[in-house]
Amino acid sequence: MSARPPEIITLAIDGKEVAVPKGTLIIRAAEQLGIEIPRFCDHPLLDPVGACRQCYVEVEGQRKLMTSCTTPVAPGMVVRTQNTSEQAREAQEAVLEFLLLNHPLDCPICDRGGECPLQDQALAFGPGESRYVEPKRTFEKPIALSPLVALDRERCVLCARCTRFCDQISGDRFIELFDRGAAEQVSIAPGEDFRSPFSGNTIQICPVGALTAVPYRFVARPFDLKTADTVCPHCASGCNLRVDLRRGEVVRHLARDSYEVNDAWLCDKGRFAFRFADAPTRLTHPLLRDPGLEPASFGEVFARVGTWLEDGPGRVAFLTGGRLMDEDYYALSKLARTVFRTNDLDHRRYRSGDVPEAVERAAAASVTITYRDVERAGAILVVGLDAEQELPILHLRIRKAARRGAAVFVLNARRTRLHDVAEHVLCPPGAEAGFLERIAGARGEGDAFGRARAALEAAGEGAVVLAGPRLAEAAGGVGRAASLAAGVGGRFAFLARRANDRGALRAGVHPGLLPGGRRVADAGERAEVERAWGLPEGSLPDGPGRDGAAILEAAARREIDVLFLVGVDPLRDFPDAALARRALENVPHKVVQDISSDAMAIYADALLPAAAYLEKDGHYSDWEGRGQRLRPVRAAPGIARPDWEIFAGLARALGGELGFDSLDSLHEEMGELLGPREVDWRPSGRSSAGPALGETGEDLVLFTYPLLVDEGRLSWGAAELKEALEEPVTLEVHPEDAERLGLEDGGRARVASLAGEATLPVRITSTVARGSAFVPFNNPGLAANTLLSGRFHVPVSVAPAGGEGEAEARGVEEVAS
Amino acid sequence: MSVLTPELRRESEEIAARYPTRRSALMPLLYLVQSAEGWVSREGLQEVADVLGITTAEVEAVATFYTMFRLEPAGRYVVSICTNLSCALRGGKALYERAHELMGPGAEQVTEDGMLTLHEEECLGACDAAPLVQVNFANYDRVTEEGLAELIEALRRGDPPPPSRGEHPGDLKATSRLLAGLGPEGASE
Repeated sequence: MSARPPEIITLAIDGKEVAVPKGTLIIRAAEQLGIEIPRFCDHPLLDPVGACRQCYVEVEGQRKLMTSCTTPVAPGMVVRTQNTSEQAREAQEAVLEFLLLNHPLDCPICDRGGECPLQDQALAFGPGESRYVEPKRTFEKPIALSPLVALDRERCVLCARCTRFCDQISGDRFIELFDRGAAEQVSIAPGEDFRSPFSGNTIQICPVGALTAVPYRFVARPFDLKTADTVCPHCASGCNLRVDLRRGEVVRHLARDSYEVNDAWLCDKGRFAFRFADAPTRLTHPLLRDPGLEPASFGEVFARVGTWLEDGPGRVAFLTGGRLMDEDYYALSKLARTVFRTNDLDHRRYRSGDVPEAVERAAAASVTITYRDVERAGAILVVGLDAEQELPILHLRIRKAARRGAAVFVLNARRTRLHDVAEHVLCPPGAEAGFLERIAGARGEGDAFGRARAALEAAGEGAVVLAGPRLAEAAGGVGRAASLAAGVGGRFAFLARRANDRGALRAGVHPGLLPGGRRVADAGERAEVERAWGLPEGSLPDGPGRDGAAILEAAARREIDVLFLVGVDPLRDFPDAALARRALENVPHKVVQDISSDAMAIYADALLPAAAYLEKDGHYSDWEGRGQRLRPVRAAPGIARPDWEIFAGLARALGGELGFDSLDSLHEEMGELLGPREVDWRPSGRSSAGPALGETGEDLVLFTYPLLVDEGRLSWGAAELKEALEEPVTLEVHPEDAERLGLEDGGRARVASLAGEATLPVRITSTVARGSAFVPFNNPGLAANTLLSGRFHVPVSVAPAGGEGEAEARGVEEVAS
Repeated sequence: MSVLTPELRRESEEIAARYPTRRSALMPLLYLVQSAEGWVSREGLQEVADVLGITTAEVEAVATFYTMFRLEPAGRYVVSICTNLSCALRGGKALYERAHELMGPGAEQVTEDGMLTLHEEECLGACDAAPLVQVNFANYDRVTEEGLAELIEALRRGDPPPPSRGEHPGDLKATSRLLAGLGPEGASE
């Protein structure tokens, strides 16, 4: 949708002319001239409210002073700020004196001291002294709004930024202004928790020290901190953040303003899960099994890998997660193919063929859709994604689009937190493709399918279809979603979930794709890569490689001699715990390369210490495919190194050569292969919808996905975050199924799949699709992958079980023994 | 024990259906709770939130802002006396203090006979009739100290005199039901 250019209005502020689009507020126009008007309640991403009255200016022709944060510009307007109007200056001083009447002036013990807008503006624009001598209003303080957010009402200036954020941005209205007049205060309803995964944003936008972060209270002063800009290491939202370190230890993550990406927000995981890089299990030196794990040098480990290769047939495979950097993935892709001559490498959790090649290739080759496209969409269809839990900042963007008038539809097996702005269709897991067909073929607007179809069609190129990671598991699902988007001339994204899944795809950490989405199976595209790598034609392996699951299956069959596990824990990550364990038990040599050792240390024959996100120079590619640079904030511990350096060292030790020994030379080479290329994402031909699961002969289809806050390794040490937001494991069952199966709300159920069984507390809720049941993937008490057989959904039998208490789970092997 | 009986739940739905967005039924539903309880309890706030699908905080923010909702147990008649500027100039504050004496212990909560609650009010928007006394939202204009004593006596008997305009005030439950938009029929007591 190409909007008409807005009308431009010219006005004068402090005698200087400025031209701005119609509708601009005076305070924004002043910013363009570099004129700073003091403000507390004003925030560019929140609706104007005029609550604090600090931004008074004189407008010629108006009887009274105007609040510049609520007054739009008009043609020929003459504005005088505190710089040229004595009246405005006096009013601002008076307002500041008023705001400070009840303020405790406890800056020396306030976390905000030194970085406080109230402190700064009182100094710059205030009268300097107060005439108020009466006793100040006092409150009990601080009160915990949640395990993460503390409220000191005495410091509050009632600007309503926090409550407006919860209303307008996150939609989680757990805090509000209670009472009126002198008794007005920010509060929470007793018995109701501030259970919002975006709660931390209220702390950051609080212009005083009223809201403070429990994990940061009394931890540091601004002048103690070493600060650096980086990118969030958690999900694929790509949030720009600032890391604060005190004596080398991370003490805080803050959002950086980035209107193309995260606006000014972070989710609470991005904000509060920052201790993992300082975990005691952090790897600092290489370790070799001998037979215990003994410290070694990189060279010794590389040499040992060489002997493992010489001793056998030298069959090597690489498994990785989604959190290395673009540079690391590129080096890995080249290492596997040029030194080990294999295409057995993968970062994905779905199978080859689940996602149409065109979609993956396009994602690897270019950026086809951005946050802006979502924000400006006329209609959005979200399929197989719980955006709040899986890509929280994309969730906020979808909400923003809805506020701007977009029609939003969600097709998912479980109701999502978009429920107040989107029409939901609950769809049994695995059956999404059929439901997408119904949308594509719908006529009229009599039902949700028809309304979705009509809205997408009406939006045309402003239609956006967002396909979540789970859609890959619905046979033909991603293809159908892409066809639907293509059919209305709209945009489409198959979403990555982890911080750099997209970078792994771009670099070709994929059994069928080389860097830039070039196909292994295509001789011409292979030759492009060969030329770029200076290799003779025909030297790259041309057979299709094994995907992640096939690598584990081959490993379990003893068909892999050396398995590289790079930033991955298949026992926890892979949707088949039993297969992952058999694989680890049957591979003779396992090289684990990671930032910390954890569970993999039991299996590792060699451990290589990698640098963490704040110790590396490199890029993450977010779900859009936008590459964003991270700069090192501190040195890696011990002799840990960036992954790409380890790969380059290994290549040299084995007599190969990756061809780069510095970041510059690496970037030069990457630029050659990873520049944007035109690849059409529209699937050719009609991809057929696979059979819906429907009759499986079992009671229910159990499905699972990771919730935002869980037992994942990157949440290590984030105790307050887990206390605030981690859900206990429950089996969510639809009321009709519960009745059929004789389950009671709050009772327990025994769930059995072919892979394992578990006894779980039951929650009956109509927010899951009929015929299905949900458990979180990795919350305390249940590693859900012990119930899975390679997919994130599985048929299960369910029966009531006696007793009460927490979840218990066993894999089949344990059941059998 | 829930505040909203199945019958009241049904009526809540009827009220909510009158608005394009359910949230708009917030104030009528607070009146409905007040008509059932004679005040609005914490459970009442939570049940309104539940009916409307919003947070309790959102309900409580509204309930604590408006003085028409009694968030503590109240008598059958709430006597609101304005002590804001216009009324104060015409003896409103003295009237309020006199009412305190007349009602005796518990005047600000519930009088011993359970009949009355005294409330010091901000402006009631009737400055021309200062000093103003309101009984369950019915106005009594230019009230004198003698007139106040008679009014309170009558209220204790459950027999409010005709207000300066409009209808006789019912008790708080009945009045609240009226304000919930449900009309006088079926009013309790």
